[in-house]
Amino acid sequence: MDAVPDDSAGESATVVTSSQSSAPEPPASEAPAAEPSAPGDLDEQFNDELGKMVERVKKLAPDYVAPPFSVKGAQAAISENLDRLTPEFGRPLLVKLRSTAGDFLDADTWRGVWYVVSYAAQSQADFIKRRMSGDYATDDWGFDREFLDAVQPFLTFLYRTYWRVEITGMENVPESGRGLLVSNHSGQLPWDGVMVATAVYLEHPAQRLVRTLYASWFPTVPFFSTAFVKLGQTLATVDNGTRLLEEDQLVAVYPEGYKGVGKLFRERYQLARFGRGGFAKMALATQSPIIPVSVVGAEETYISLAKSRVVASLLGFPFFPITPTFPWLGPLGFIPIPTKWYIDFGEPIPMAEYGRDALDHLVLVSQLTDEVRNVVQQMIHQRLAQRRSVLLG
Amino acid sequence: MEDNKVVLITGAADGWGARLAARLAETPGLRVIGIDAKRPSEAHKGLDFVQADVRNPLLVDFMKEEKVDTVCHLAFAENEPHSEKTFDLNVMGTMKLAGACAQAGVCKMVFKSSTAVYGAFPDNSAFLREELPLRGGQSADSTRHLVEIEAFNNGFLRQAPEMCLTVLRCASIVGPSIDTPMTRFLGSHVTPVLLGFDPMLQVLHEDDAVAALAHAVERDAPGVFNIAADGALPLSKVMSLAGKTAVPVVHLAAYWGNPFFRALGWPVGHFWPMPLDYLRYPWVADLTKMREELDFVPRYTAEEALREFAGRKRLEKYLPHSGDMAFDAELLRDTIERGRRQRKQQVTSLMKVTEEIAGESWGEL
Repeated sequence: MDAVPDDSAGESATVVTSSQSSAPEPPASEAPAAEPSAPGDLDEQFNDELGKMVERVKKLAPDYVAPPFSVKGAQAAISENLDRLTPEFGRPLLVKLRSTAGDFLDADTWRGVWYVVSYAAQSQADFIKRRMSGDYATDDWGFDREFLDAVQPFLTFLYRTYWRVEITGMENVPESGRGLLVSNHSGQLPWDGVMVATAVYLEHPAQRLVRTLYASWFPTVPFFSTAFVKLGQTLATVDNGTRLLEEDQLVAVYPEGYKGVGKLFRERYQLARFGRGGFAKMALATQSPIIPVSVVGAEETYISLAKSRVVASLLGFPFFPITPTFPWLGPLGFIPIPTKWYIDFGEPIPMAEYGRDALDHLVLVSQLTDEVRNVVQQMIHQRLAQRRSVLLG
Repeated sequence: MEDNKVVLITGAADGWGARLAARLAETPGLRVIGIDAKRPSEAHKGLDFVQADVRNPLLVDFMKEEKVDTVCHLAFAENEPHSEKTFDLNVMGTMKLAGACAQAGVCKMVFKSSTAVYGAFPDNSAFLREELPLRGGQSADSTRHLVEIEAFNNGFLRQAPEMCLTVLRCASIVGPSIDTPMTRFLGSHVTPVLLGFDPMLQVLHEDDAVAALAHAVERDAPGVFNIAADGALPLSKVMSLAGKTAVPVVHLAAYWGNPFFRALGWPVGHFWPMPLDYLRYPWVADLTKMREELDFVPRYTAEEALREFAGRKRLEKYLPHSGDMAFDAELLRDTIERGRRQRKQQVTSLMKVTEEIAGESWGEL
């Protein structure tokens, strides 16, 4: 907009003296060199941008019809708001609008502005009304896409800016159909689970939703239980996992559980026992390929020096870590260290070669569990060998 | 009249028994006998009413005499807290009746239970299957009796293996004219919920509960079945569909305050007609067996059932006696949608039958 006083300077010399005195110098020297900004050009550019915005809105809501645009309506809107301005401010503004409306802001432009603004207002009002009256969809598991959309910007910030996650092997995650991601678990709080799901959501061409299976302590914690369910995740039971895989979903498990997430700093990157092999049973029962996943960088987000069994049992926590900042700094102790993360998706291990009755073959189940554990451990070692710095990668 | 099936309904004077009796009386080829300890408030057409208690030992002779094939046991005090009196009616009554049925040669028993018997626990799977252990019933309501009866049923089936015993575990029943913990919860003026908890819930429309019982009486489907309307909904959505504003309470305060206020004689049971865990943890039942083995499809979806309930409650504020819902556009829209769905379902089930027949004849060829 800094080019406007320059363009219209000749016609409205009396207007907005303050902006004239300060503005003309830089645009006069820059404008001709940087962009040959004839009024028509700018006009077109602005109209183009607006047109794109209108297109986007139309794509979002094909059946939205803006309230009819009229010159009178727009004028009424202006004059209504003009009453709220002081005369000293209002008069120059009107004069300026009159002088510029002709060439810079033609009727089409106004129409576009009208469309976008009224759509935004309408959709906000509709959204609130819909949520209040219960008119929104969740699936039977409780997944609420609008909730995911609402928190997605924060997750994207963590993923792109805070931990600068780098991934490899996304092509190993199936385009469609069932699949079981099996990953190491670390970092005191389950941020690694959140980031693996975000990685698949942001980087996978099909934008797949990962159904993470979480431990049974979370349902007892207010807000966490609700948020996890609304994000499409569910409790880690063999029943739930099998059912999700049968629905051809992408499921993620962290078989180390609390033993993994609550590791002390000196034990970092040493995998704990992989549960009781429940994930292998799920994969065998549904013939889903197992995709080993390694997360490197999450171990250093909190530095757990010791664990207090007494406090944990008093609070009913599965474990209670003591870090340099927690619990000493209170809520500040929850802030993770911005390490550099690597998430590697390994080659899928197919289950189709085993029959469905392999499920009851206990030796096979435990062999498979160990095999997957070794693969994940190897992937971690490979990545650690390449990593030069914890914070910079 | 000789080859008619004879159905005995206990608790037929009011409640579920009266509703089922009224529904089955319309079915041709069925003779419906109702028994209850008290007289019915109004006479039902097509129902032979006999005043008798289910614990009466002479019931064996009566059932032999009347050649009863099917017993639907609905004499159950579900809205009263646990006491020796209700325990005697609910649990001992069921045991005695089951024994009498086995002795009188009754071949089928239908029993209505509740999905609350699974209990609400943090480690519950998202969909609870029928064969899971029943962990509910620690609280002082009739759920405890149901768990006891279901445990008894297992032993009873070992003694009388030829008995066709159908147990319908119904989800929270809602409806304009029924009194259940869920309708009390959604009908009270203030509905406190636990801050930060939003479990998934299932509901069932009252008409569908009766339809499920009738379905079980009309065809032989031994076993235990979960019955609920299509769609599990988060509690917050249930509340907003019912037009309620939730008042969040910190859960620790609620857990500690609840017995305290109860001891003081405050009517907290009015706000929380169910144990608090049922508003905190999931207890959604798996409906696969209902759809595939029982072949029963509830007519109302969860959303439709709740919308109808909410509309009726809103109107009751202004017209306490006549529930005139003729002006509710949403209700008519739901009704149209329901009719459409039912027709579609009839067509698909017809197609399934045709395919089966075709498959069989191909097999013969």
